[in-house]
Amino acid sequence: MAGETVSRGFGLGRPGPRASAGVVWSVFRARLKIITRYKGAVFLESIIPVIFAGLPILLGAAVAGGEQNAANNFFAYTGTTGRTAADFRLYMLMGSNTFMVVTLMLWLIGYWVRREQETGTLEALYLTPAKRFHVLAGVTSYTFIRALIAFLVATVLGALLFNVNPLEGNFLAAVAYLVLGIPALWGISFFFGALVMRIKEANSVIQLLQWVLAFAMGVYFPVTVFPFLLRVVAMGFPPTLMNDAIRSTLLGIASIYGPWYVVLGLMLIAAWLVPLLGYEFFGWTERRVKRDQGVGQF
Amino acid sequence: MAEPIIRAEGLSKTFLSKERKKGEKKRKKEVHALKSVDLEVLDGEVFGLLGPNGAGKTTLIKILTTLLLPTGGSAWVNGYSITKEEDEVRASIGCMLMGDRGLYWKLTGRENLDYFGALYHVPRPDRAKQIEHLIALLKLDDFIDRTVETYSSGQRMIVAFAKSLVNDAPILFLDEPTVTMDVPTARELRRIVKDLNDHGKTILYTTHLMHEAEELCDRVAIIDHGEIIALGTPRELKDSLGHEDVVSLEGIFPDATVSRLRAVPGVLEVAVSAEDDGRSKLDVMVENSRAMLPRIIEAVTGQGSTVEEIRPKEITLEDVFVAKTGRTLAVDTRVVGEKAVRGRGG
Ligand SMILES: Nc1ncnc2c1ncn2[C@@H]1O[C@H](COP(=O)(O)OP(=O)(O)OP(=O)(O)O)[C@@H](O)[C@H]1O
Ligand SMILES: [Mg+2]
Repeated sequence: MAGETVSRGFGLGRPGPRASAGVVWSVFRARLKIITRYKGAVFLESIIPVIFAGLPILLGAAVAGGEQNAANNFFAYTGTTGRTAADFRLYMLMGSNTFMVVTLMLWLIGYWVRREQETGTLEALYLTPAKRFHVLAGVTSYTFIRALIAFLVATVLGALLFNVNPLEGNFLAAVAYLVLGIPALWGISFFFGALVMRIKEANSVIQLLQWVLAFAMGVYFPVTVFPFLLRVVAMGFPPTLMNDAIRSTLLGIASIYGPWYVVLGLMLIAAWLVPLLGYEFFGWTERRVKRDQGVGQF
Repeated sequence: MAEPIIRAEGLSKTFLSKERKKGEKKRKKEVHALKSVDLEVLDGEVFGLLGPNGAGKTTLIKILTTLLLPTGGSAWVNGYSITKEEDEVRASIGCMLMGDRGLYWKLTGRENLDYFGALYHVPRPDRAKQIEHLIALLKLDDFIDRTVETYSSGQRMIVAFAKSLVNDAPILFLDEPTVTMDVPTARELRRIVKDLNDHGKTILYTTHLMHEAEELCDRVAIIDHGEIIALGTPRELKDSLGHEDVVSLEGIFPDATVSRLRAVPGVLEVAVSAEDDGRSKLDVMVENSRAMLPRIIEAVTGQGSTVEEIRPKEITLEDVFVAKTGRTLAVDTRVVGEKAVRGRGG
């Protein structure tokens, strides 16, 4: 019996490195276990970008009269020449895949907050002395793995279906840009998570923002086609940068941001600045919420 | 049993919420859920917070467990400030606040306990041992390795209770833990709570069940409209009614009869709870039930009333509540008398 002697508890207000790592690991593992209990979820969501890429490919062929025409027109308009129909398909596929990664992040973290509110586990989390940083680290490690797997599965599926070979281009560098782009996505999703905590109609907000995002990040086109003001806004948006970095690397076309070191530099800045801001905003919102309604209210 | 292990000074909480009335514009409405509450819970006691729906029990517990920030006042749990040393406070307490909520449905009971154990920074070997101990103590082995989505609500409840013990904290906060349990399970839970207390844990227990508070608590605070209106051991609270007695009547009583009863000299208070089918229950508070009985019977006979049962009653905490507020704690409460009107005002 726990209380044979008067017990003063196991818990620690200030955890050591071991206990902290234990929190990150437990959160990570719990998320992973939960998703594996939703049969087929990961596979199903990997099909979505393939469908998504199919739309502009077919539309392009229909409008231009043939796929090669579509490819010629498209790349000429965006400033490159001598491109094949396969490149056109790959461009669309990569855009859709990256978009999937972005929305996955938003849902996995932003919507995670709402789910935990609904089940009452968010309050339960806030009752433990676990640090916000460690809990979020566990969640983000999970989303990282999820996003990476989904991206790779979708790429393989798309490559088979559209008969393109992503390995022809600089595939590893593209994946490296994906990985480098993910922290900024965390930052954005922390903003989302914070909004969800405050805004009751979070689902519709995320739904809407997801499409605004798709538009702004240039899923099917380089954002240089936007009018000036919109272009500046869109280019300042981290997913656009990531999308452009991945595509330009893979297809060997010029980035809209400039030479490779500019792209890399911008990516590096975004990778720490955006999560930092998002994290601060999350903490700030959390304190506000506790001051009025409490974290469990939605 | 000496030091206060939980201390609250002038705690208040005001919620701002939107009021939506048909045909009117939305406007902000202030709800004063707590109004300057002072409280001391001593190390090693079972302390009951007793009050009707909306009294402010959950709000008080949420503030003490760091889920909510108070609008005013301060509090310390286990010597730590609830606003400045939140993590230390959280490490000192185990909580069951939301009934059977707060579990992951796609994880098994055991996985839930292990997860929360880790979040309380319980080292892995201790965690495993404590979980085994809890499984034996609360008889969880039949379902602990199934996912929570397959549980009955009573099973979820008991696992939620187990979760509050996973860090084996010195202080336990239980907010109406028995609310959806069947009678034997609730009784068993109270027995375990008593047992945990015998082994040194301090317990803060909220309930709106008077008998539960009487059975379990060393001391009780009665809270109503965000204020503590009585505090002491159940014995003290009942003795505070002095030599007042209660005579309980059941039957059909028109309002005129009740008014007549109230007018009888020596009758201090009459609380009416409506039952179904037009019958009602009267709790008549008098100075001396033996002497008063004939006059009570005289007042309630005839003129359309039917007396089905009449008996002098042991004073309970319920009567303390009635004496302080003019209302009963029962859900269907019809209130008679001036005192009651004042009680409703807040
Ligand atoms: N988030 C909130 N926003 C606005 N008002 C609130 C909020 N939470 C609680 N209240 C109000 O504060 C008061 C106290 O509520 P509280 O939940 O503390 O009552 P309680 O004593 O726990 O009642 P019960 O027995 O029904 O659980 C109620 O009037 C309630 O409507
Ligand atoms: Mg409550």
